Amino acid sequence: MSTIIVDKIAKSFGSTQAVKDVSFEVHPGEIFGLLGPNGSGKTTSIRVILDIYQADSGTVTILGGPMTNEKLNHIGYIPEERGLYQDVPLDRCLTYLATLKGMTEDQIKDRLPKYLAKFDLTEHAKKKAKELSKGMQQKGQLIAALLHDPEIIIIDEPFSALDPVNTQLVKDLLIEQRNAGKTIVMCTHQMNQVEQLCDRLVLIDHGQVLLQGELSEIRDRFRTNEVIIEALNPLPEHINGVSKIERLNDAHRLTPQVGISAHDLLNELVSQGIELNSFEVAVPTLDEIFIRVVKEGNGHNE
Amino acid sequence: MNKTMSIARYEYLHHVGRKRFWIALIGVPLGFVLLLGLSTLLSRLSFDTRPVGIVDHAALIQIEPDHSKESTFFEPQIYLQVFPDESAARVAIETNKIQGFAVLPEDYLSRFQIVYWANKQPLSDVQSVITDFVSKNLMVSENIDPAVVSRINEGSQISLQSLDGSQVYDGSNTDRIAVPILVGVLNFILVMTCGGYLLQALVEEKENRTLEILLTSVSPKEIMTGKIIGNLSIGFTEIGAWILLLAIAGFIFRNKLEFLMGLDISFSYVAISVALTIFSFIFSAALMVTIGAMMTSTAEAQGVIGLMVIPMMLPVYFFGTFMNNPNGLLPRVFSFLPFSSPLSIALRMAIGSVSRTEILLAFVVIVLMTLLMVWFAASAIKRGMLHFTPRLLLRRKFNKETPNA
Repeated sequence: MSTIIVDKIAKSFGSTQAVKDVSFEVHPGEIFGLLGPNGSGKTTSIRVILDIYQADSGTVTILGGPMTNEKLNHIGYIPEERGLYQDVPLDRCLTYLATLKGMTEDQIKDRLPKYLAKFDLTEHAKKKAKELSKGMQQKGQLIAALLHDPEIIIIDEPFSALDPVNTQLVKDLLIEQRNAGKTIVMCTHQMNQVEQLCDRLVLIDHGQVLLQGELSEIRDRFRTNEVIIEALNPLPEHINGVSKIERLNDAHRLTPQVGISAHDLLNELVSQGIELNSFEVAVPTLDEIFIRVVKEGNGHNE
Repeated sequence: MNKTMSIARYEYLHHVGRKRFWIALIGVPLGFVLLLGLSTLLSRLSFDTRPVGIVDHAALIQIEPDHSKESTFFEPQIYLQVFPDESAARVAIETNKIQGFAVLPEDYLSRFQIVYWANKQPLSDVQSVITDFVSKNLMVSENIDPAVVSRINEGSQISLQSLDGSQVYDGSNTDRIAVPILVGVLNFILVMTCGGYLLQALVEEKENRTLEILLTSVSPKEIMTGKIIGNLSIGFTEIGAWILLLAIAGFIFRNKLEFLMGLDISFSYVAISVALTIFSFIFSAALMVTIGAMMTSTAEAQGVIGLMVIPMMLPVYFFGTFMNNPNGLLPRVFSFLPFSSPLSIALRMAIGSVSRTEILLAFVVIVLMTLLMVWFAASAIKRGMLHFTPRLLLRRKFNKETPNA
């Protein structure tokens, strides 16, 4: 059963339509990517899911029904920026936010030190948020979202202020949560992180869904028969069966003509005496898919 | 502990732990004492305590001037000194022994004219001292019983009654004016300090995006209620601490404050006034939250707090109207407005009478308006707090919305 079911939600602010007929489902034990350019309607969709905004139309089903005050205790949320009291010591701030999630003082006393240690924040626990670096604040927010052991984690740009070490720490943590059966919705612009973490994704732009599905299925959908080669000798200007040759750094991207397979192309290159260091079928990156879909979407919108 | 009380507790401890709370807690009474001390000192320094001479050509004076009351720093006295003639009195002025002298001419009993000689304008107290002394001697010269003299000097007490039988003003009820003053101060402190904390905290939470986190943990009504309880508790802590300080000061200076023992103020009168003040504060707090939803910075919020005091003090601006007719149209209208109700009712009860039905009706109106404002504010938190630019327009609040489930 899906943990979150978003069904044709729409939300306007005055004359601006922020979200229009957005639908998707998120299942337990998966990391779901909510992608889109700035101003695409991601944050509005999240706020509708969290019942901060009420949708003009459509429904949101959380844990089998409409949102209730009790269900808020089962959700951990990290907004895109800030979210901590700036002039309050970190441990007091986290304790307060945890009590609002229904945790008892004993539970907090038991779990908080472990999380602070896990995120290497023990010695900074008494510092005010404004005295911490952006990365530390981001880790503090993660603790605030996870301390009450929520079933659903909604996280906006989780890696925005983190260095590579902490990025890996958060990635491991998200994978750990997924493996524990938690439902994770992740908004991000960092496509490499989505490729590494997300099981499924939805791409929205101008408040509308442009693309959604499993990551592997989406890649297959956008796969072309282009190949990338690294040749040991210079390539001729014209190769039979190739419509376009594009130079990359130390390699070339070859676009075959219609009806020419990668296998045909390999035979042609060998027959022309081109010595190859590598030959691989090009798989489109999520970045490329993202840009292509958004551009096409904008074309449709225009 | 439920979430509302968690918010209240956090608000309370957060603000009580801040420097500005302690500055206000200590600064207000300290400032009050300093101001009081300074004004007393200035008043005392300008008070001329040198004796006043009196030269009696009318042969009226039969009793000696009364010097039995000791002149102290807080209660300075002006003593009279009788001189045989004007030249002796002039010498006393020139040698700075007296500040001036009054001359009762031979024909005083026919003209009742007294001439006062001095190098500078005398204080009003000088005139009182002279006329009281002369009056006493006049009555003694007419063989009037000293007890009657004393009664005449005390004067009469006038009680005004309205035609419908309700009491309008009783001279003995002047003590009750202490309650409107108390209500005014209480209102001012609650709005300026606690309301200020509340508004500033909300705008900060909006700026920090912590409000977004709170809204994913608790309902807007719980946020509102928790914050109001927390901030109201801060107000009562401050007021409690000041009352304690006053009690300590009262104990130390108990000999000087014997008049307080005679105060005649009923418990129900104080209770009604305080209860109305609390509801009025909740209304103001909810209004501040609504306004806070439209603010984009703490600096903007500061300006609004001062504006809140204006409608609260309406009865003070129309004090004359209240005194002339406490049951007139304007005082009655002000009694039903959440901002001005506590002070209006307290003032009307101090100088006249307000029927139980009217008090009850005022309570019902204020409570309903407060609940409406709290609901409106809770809605503003949810709708307005996440809008940064452009500012939330009031009309947006009235847009119809469909529940998402």
